[in-house]
Amino acid sequence: MKKKKFEWGYLLLLPGLGFVALFLGAAIVMMALQSVGFLNFTGESSFSMEYWKGLFQVNFYDNLIYSLKIAVCASLICIAIVYPLSLIVKNMPWSKTWLSLLKIPMFIPALVVCLIITNVLNYNGILNAVLGGLGLIQEPLVLRNDPWGVGALATQVWKNVPFMLLIVYSSVESVRKDVLDAGRNLGAGRLRLFWEITLPLTMPSALVAVIMTFIKIFNDYTISRVMGPIYPSTLSNLMHKQAYLYNDWHTAACIGCLMMVTAVIFVSLYTWLGNRLAKQLS
Amino acid sequence: MTQGLRVQNLTKYYGDYKALDDVSFAIEGGQFVTLLGPSGCGKTTLLRVIAGFLECDQGEVYFGDKLINDVPPNKRDAAMCFQSYALFPNKNVYENIRFGLRMRKVPPEEHKERVEEAMAMVNLTGLGERRPYELSGGQQQRVALARCIVVRPQLLLFDEPLSNLDAKLREKVRVEIREVQKKLGITAIYVTHDQAEALAISDQVITMSAGCIIQNAPPRDIYDRPNSRFVADFVGTANIVPCRILERTGMEYLVQSPYGELRAVDADCDLPAGAEGYLCIRPEDLLPSGKGESSNQICGAVRTAVYMGNLLDMFVDIGTEQIRASIAKDWNVTEGEAICFRVAPDKVRILGG
Ligand SMILES: Nc1ncnc2c1ncn2[C@@H]1O[C@H](COP(=O)(O)OP(=O)(O)OP(=O)(O)O)[C@@H](O)[C@H]1O
Ligand SMILES: [Mg+2]
Repeated sequence: MKKKKFEWGYLLLLPGLGFVALFLGAAIVMMALQSVGFLNFTGESSFSMEYWKGLFQVNFYDNLIYSLKIAVCASLICIAIVYPLSLIVKNMPWSKTWLSLLKIPMFIPALVVCLIITNVLNYNGILNAVLGGLGLIQEPLVLRNDPWGVGALATQVWKNVPFMLLIVYSSVESVRKDVLDAGRNLGAGRLRLFWEITLPLTMPSALVAVIMTFIKIFNDYTISRVMGPIYPSTLSNLMHKQAYLYNDWHTAACIGCLMMVTAVIFVSLYTWLGNRLAKQLS
Repeated sequence: MTQGLRVQNLTKYYGDYKALDDVSFAIEGGQFVTLLGPSGCGKTTLLRVIAGFLECDQGEVYFGDKLINDVPPNKRDAAMCFQSYALFPNKNVYENIRFGLRMRKVPPEEHKERVEEAMAMVNLTGLGERRPYELSGGQQQRVALARCIVVRPQLLLFDEPLSNLDAKLREKVRVEIREVQKKLGITAIYVTHDQAEALAISDQVITMSAGCIIQNAPPRDIYDRPNSRFVADFVGTANIVPCRILERTGMEYLVQSPYGELRAVDADCDLPAGAEGYLCIRPEDLLPSGKGESSNQICGAVRTAVYMGNLLDMFVDIGTEQIRASIAKDWNVTEGEAICFRVAPDKVRILGG
């Protein structure tokens, strides 16, 4: 075998790798160190588990539950919307055009989305006007910054449906037509066909879509801040408050670590599930 | 006995391309009908229209007396065996085959027995747990076959169901399909490229070309009384040469052809004296005979002779033309030898354009 010569080409990787090492590796390590008391910006740095202990007293649970609740609900609502939507779009003429139209919300910044939804859900917004006009409600409903998080939920769904659609649609579309025809031919109605064939075959990508959306919403800052309840809010908001309002960077780092761990757990979970399903279905 | 099928003036376009052109035929209940035709002639398209996956642009489809143009595919009692197999990738062999039983609400206690019976029929016993991707092409094809036979519908549609099987298995499964179909009295349409298969198992053979039905007749008639050059050529082998009709009295003809002057008796021909047509003789209808020993002779020189085991297949030069003859295997001929054949007038067929 020929002896391998040093490839100078590898040097080209340096800027990219350096960037990753600096901003990802080092930053994560620093955050972890910060969470146990090192790297203090203001006072003395020394090892301490204070901040981790203290974390569970700063309304942490309320915010965690809220984050989970909004992430789970919104991803489930999204997937419940996306499947029928995919099937409808697939069977429509001009499906490609419809699909690109449906993708638009993905490119609208979160703050703009909040503004749009606010106009609908506000105290004197469209929805309240219509419901009031129809005589269905006496008083306008509080749908923004409401304790249930309806405003945040609606905004998250609006913003995330296109992203999910992108993933789920391509997998729904890839189910072979003759396989569906065979199912119809053997007596399955459209609903049975979906349940028995389309759903199992597209499950892996749907799962990927749900988990990715879940993480995105779980880690969200903007939409919860603007549309969500005043209290509780997401962990990101809690982290922001700890760091910038109370100047408590150590507790903020603890929260950051937890959010990262959650993300890693979910990503591993979906990789594992996805692989298993893919093996089962391939 | 199940209901028959009637198809009337079916026309189907793909864009500008006319895939089916005014197709009409009727099948009595319990009949086994073969659709025979070259690739791309519209066989699959016709089956898909009958199964309800494609809407035709014109025409009607009747099951029995019932017009079913507007009945969705899952409500038509027709099971189709797809050319592409179309197995459910997420289900194992057993569940693939059972699917139709579940959808048709067959009582669950019957499922196991029926599925296993169908699996045995197509030699799949023991493969129930496998998934489609763990099967060979031939095995997948047999799952597809079992999956539609197991539901015992009114109408079975087979789209080249045996194309991927070896000769032995093909014959076995073919016989079994035919037996099941007869036993249950199911009406069946069977698409194939293989003309020998078509002649062997059908009650009726429909030959198609470019979206049109050319001839619809029992196998014997398709072979012995083809109505066109296309059918004569496509089904079996035939010597076809242009000819001119010299005399005609009733159904007796005297024709001039590259094979010489020949007499023919053909009840189906309607060409008048003086007309141009084609003359068609099957290789096995040529019988060796001494020169001048009988009338209606064709004489020439042997170009090649191949011993096929069960017969002797030879090409004989006749002027600038050739004729192919299949004669008894015991004959000994050498290349270049002069040879004469006699042909019975009723074996000489005269075809229009
Ligand atoms: N979806 C389609 N769009 C356009 N043209 C099509 C379509 N499906 C089939 N065709 C054309 O219609 C004609 C008939 O096709 P069909 O599949 O019925 O042929 P076939 O007789 O089944 O051939 P084979 O024996 O090769 O299966 C072909 O010329 C084919 O190219
Ligand atoms: Mg075909």
